[in-house]
Amino acid sequence: MKDNLRCERWRELSWRRDLTPAEQAELRAWLAGHPEALAEWRTEAALNRVLDQLPDAAVPSNFTALALEAAGREAGVLSRPVRLRWLVWPGRLPWLPKAAFAAIFLGTSLLSYHEVLAFQRAQLIRSVVAIADVVSLPSPQILTNFDAIQVLDRTPPADIELLHLLK
Amino acid sequence: MSAELEPDAALMLRVKQGEGTAFAALVDKYKRPVLNLVYRMLHDPTEAEDVAQNVFVQVFRSAHRYEVSAKFSTWLFTIARNLALNELRRRSRHPSESMDATRPEQDDQPLQQFEDKKAVPPPENLLHGELEQKIEQALADLPENQRTAILLCRQDEMSYEEIAKVLGCSVSATKSLIHRGRETLKHKLKPYLRSGVWSDAP
Repeated sequence: MKDNLRCERWRELSWRRDLTPAEQAELRAWLAGHPEALAEWRTEAALNRVLDQLPDAAVPSNFTALALEAAGREAGVLSRPVRLRWLVWPGRLPWLPKAAFAAIFLGTSLLSYHEVLAFQRAQLIRSVVAIADVVSLPSPQILTNFDAIQVLDRTPPADIELLHLLK
Repeated sequence: MSAELEPDAALMLRVKQGEGTAFAALVDKYKRPVLNLVYRMLHDPTEAEDVAQNVFVQVFRSAHRYEVSAKFSTWLFTIARNLALNELRRRSRHPSESMDATRPEQDDQPLQQFEDKKAVPPPENLLHGELEQKIEQALADLPENQRTAILLCRQDEMSYEEIAKVLGCSVSATKSLIHRGRETLKHKLKPYLRSGVWSDAP
């Protein structure tokens, strides 16, 4: 059991890196007592070497320059003024143009409605002023003896013959 | 403060402040491992180059989100793997044959091959070349997570914990992926590995 754990630890170490000389000596000593595991360890070691010697993908000589250029462009986009960013947004937010159009339409409609109301109110005022000029009312002083004059109609008619006699 | 940081984290903090030279240093250090990983995921050098470029642009774009608590290489390889997986998904949605994606071992091969009994054993460099092709093919045939685990495992300085973070699974699951992948490789490459050419066992 303990041997298995040690063997597993060496195996996991060898997957990641070459064993140190001390670890190799320890493994050699262990393998001397376990010759049945030798073939398996040779295969493991060969696979490690093969993986280590896999050829690298070709890196273009201007890779770093291109990466810096791309990052520079990115930095340009990120540091663009806010007003310019608004121009970029519609592409990322497809609903934004529709929402903006709806908002502008609503705003224009409200403004027009208020304009019409104001115009109608102004026209009404102008009409009232015009009528007021044409039909000017008499002075209120005329109505001072209005009640007395109205009562005069209801008094009995004057005795004309008696008046003549008294003369 | 930055004296206590690992060198990559210190460079990233400088990138955060908009320092181009720090970014160039990180690109120089990691362009080869990133390109190797992406290339072995996509098998197309041109696409691998584009994706690797995008990896570094993504690093630059996300520099403000980088936390020093996370090891830079773990973060970088996670981005690289995700972008390569996105590319594979895009490719599966829009399949098209890339002119660069030829597989040399499949070109100009007769349909059936017969062993030449009189042939002398191939010289060592030929055996190596053949084995390289075979192992590239065997790696390409592995499931993506096993292949990535094996490739990251041979990456300097990456612990099993870090590989597990990149793959988004536990350490034991990562070791199991590596073990299964290696068993498949050993099985497929047994005649080559046992030829003795590669053996440096203790």
